[in-house]
Amino acid sequence: MLRHHLRRRTLALAAATAAGGLGLTACGPSITSDKDEGGGTDALRAPDTDAPSGEITIWDRSGDLFEVFEGVIDDFNAVYPDIKVNHVAVDIDAKLQNTLITGADVPDGVFLDDAKISGYTDYLWNLGDVLQPYLGDMAQQKIDVNTVDGAIYGVPYDLNPGLLFYNATALEAAGVDASAIETYDDLLEAARRYKEAVPEAGPIHLEQSAFLGQLQLEMYASQLGTSIADADGELRLDSPEYRRILEFLDTVRAEGLGTRAEYLTPTDIAEMDNGNQVFYPWAIWFSFAPQQMLDQTSGDWRAMELPAWDAGGARSGAMGGSSFVLPKDGANADLAWLFYEFLMFDEVGYTAVWGPNPTYPTGLNTSIPAYEPAADPTAPLFEPVEALGGQDLWSVATEAGAQIPGGAPIPAWWDGAVDYLGNDVQRMLDGDMTPEEVIASATEQIQTNLVDRQ
Amino acid sequence: MTAAAAARFAGTDRKKRRTSAAGRRRRLAPYVFVLPFVTIFLAFSVYPLFYTARLSFTNWRGTGAAEWVGWDNYAYLLTNPAFWGSLGNSAVLWLLIVPAQMVLGVLVAVLLNSAKLKLRGLYRVAFIVPFVTPLVAVAQIWVVLFDQRHGAVNAVLGLLGLPDIGWLTTGAWAKPTLALLFLWKTTGFIVIILLSGLQSINGSIYEAADIDGASKIRQLWSITVPLLRRTIMFAVVLQTLAVFQMFAEPFVVTQGGPYNSTTTAGYYLYNHITRADLGTGAANSFLLVILVMVLSLGFVRMLRAKD
Repeated sequence: MLRHHLRRRTLALAAATAAGGLGLTACGPSITSDKDEGGGTDALRAPDTDAPSGEITIWDRSGDLFEVFEGVIDDFNAVYPDIKVNHVAVDIDAKLQNTLITGADVPDGVFLDDAKISGYTDYLWNLGDVLQPYLGDMAQQKIDVNTVDGAIYGVPYDLNPGLLFYNATALEAAGVDASAIETYDDLLEAARRYKEAVPEAGPIHLEQSAFLGQLQLEMYASQLGTSIADADGELRLDSPEYRRILEFLDTVRAEGLGTRAEYLTPTDIAEMDNGNQVFYPWAIWFSFAPQQMLDQTSGDWRAMELPAWDAGGARSGAMGGSSFVLPKDGANADLAWLFYEFLMFDEVGYTAVWGPNPTYPTGLNTSIPAYEPAADPTAPLFEPVEALGGQDLWSVATEAGAQIPGGAPIPAWWDGAVDYLGNDVQRMLDGDMTPEEVIASATEQIQTNLVDRQ
Repeated sequence: MTAAAAARFAGTDRKKRRTSAAGRRRRLAPYVFVLPFVTIFLAFSVYPLFYTARLSFTNWRGTGAAEWVGWDNYAYLLTNPAFWGSLGNSAVLWLLIVPAQMVLGVLVAVLLNSAKLKLRGLYRVAFIVPFVTPLVAVAQIWVVLFDQRHGAVNAVLGLLGLPDIGWLTTGAWAKPTLALLFLWKTTGFIVIILLSGLQSINGSIYEAADIDGASKIRQLWSITVPLLRRTIMFAVVLQTLAVFQMFAEPFVVTQGGPYNSTTTAGYYLYNHITRADLGTGAANSFLLVILVMVLSLGFVRMLRAKD
């Protein structure tokens, strides 16, 4: 009797808990039976007063860049004295999604990877109107990666042109003339000649991280004016451009012309320092390596534009990059726009970011501005780089950046593609797949697991 | 009714009312006492559970309205080789870690429990140090030690005339390398748990065994292990949960590679969440909960069967 009574009570309690729980779930997102149209098209307007005032919260990643932006706030306040900037160092990848979903304590402006912008567009202001005066002077690649369904969701921050870094001292000792490299065929030939002189060498870097390998692949693709998917989300892997890139990488592997290593891991650094790895096609941010990571060969490295795929073709592609986004739930997004406008389009602002500053005494030389007037090859913002033998990296990078073709948007599922394309490229570099197999396999899997499930 | 009777009746009525009010308070008291817990439990356990269940039937990506997709997410996962691959990776890691850890844990705990061992306190601290060391720091050391071309481990192998091994760069070796990291990091914790179990075994049993002439190995096998069974099972359940939820180790050492060979069930789930595929992530977490629950119940049943 008592057992029955207890069982009834237990059942009643469980039912009450379940009912309560189900009731509480109503606090979640509303559910529809149809595909949500989404696509926030609210356009941000700049403040219409001469003396804007208020408080803004700006999220940046912790680290050097945070310090750089922090240093610009005083300059900003000299122009806008009534706008108080709360500058906060945040693990953006970990916090932004939850913050936007809950709508609590949403910042007014956020520093965000370009590859992530398309995933958040429902929560962001369309900046098309406020950016209009600057669009004509903006790198097309940055406009493309910030554009979704015709609306622009990010204030472009940096341009990361791909460059060919090379160990000039080692190449010279081997009798290889780096200045003669103009196409990827020339690069292969130079690598062959270097390997003849240094048989144990794997002259060209072959990235071993699936994520960075895919990022590098997209740099090569960007150079050819394409990317993994077009603006409508249609896959473009099965194309002559990707076939050509993969065949180039496969040739490097097959002829033993590459060093398989993950970016700046001990093997990678050691193989550069011992002169085995002398060509590093990578974004401008590789310049960090000779400045901070290489012991033996710092000062021996130089940078040049990437080789062209065809003689006379574009000599650079984009690899990575970030922008500033303004969440709709931010209390003063219009004031945050003024901050970013100052930072990116005002000479005082962008000079404070890329020019010599307390964090980078010779300037920030791991990227260049996306705003073309700020990226003038004849008006360098950062100084020549000692670890590159005093080379004027500014002019090399800005001239390369000016050649990056547009037409390479980044789909929202880009990160997810690493499980397929990134891994398949690694399999190819390990000799387990052919370029054709990579294209067929990655296309099928990305279509099934990512594109069709959006 | 006389005045006296009326007064008596009124007194009884008041007493009854007092009694019933006191009874009500007594009956309500337990509910009032548990109310704070129930409130917190509803808010932080029941609500997230039902919320996740609801999400698992949608394709919500963290923005806009969620579309109801029925069982699609579950069907997708259950027919997806990557999902099964992640479970397979976790199962292999479990096999590499848990049996070895239990054997090692018992042996070390017995050693540390021995009264003859000098500097026992120092050894106990030494064993727990890896457990309290930040994983990110350890992971960096692991990456350097197991680097294929310039790591210390391969350097030693080279001295012995053995070829280089791609510890972290080949599918065959990445899991054992990760398992070794997990073993190194958490065995000290298991030793502490087993040590507490050992200390609850009555010493007179060993004295009797000594008198009967049982060897130390015989004592270990016939006394220590059987009497530690409950503690061992507790440790097995704990580590089963830990291995199937393992995330930080592959995240910082291999990023799930090469070729997803170290993408554990926990890491696979994380990928859905960070890629804003919240519906699939929710379904994945439910499937994982069911799996871990079944495994844990299986171990508990094994324990009961012997009792």
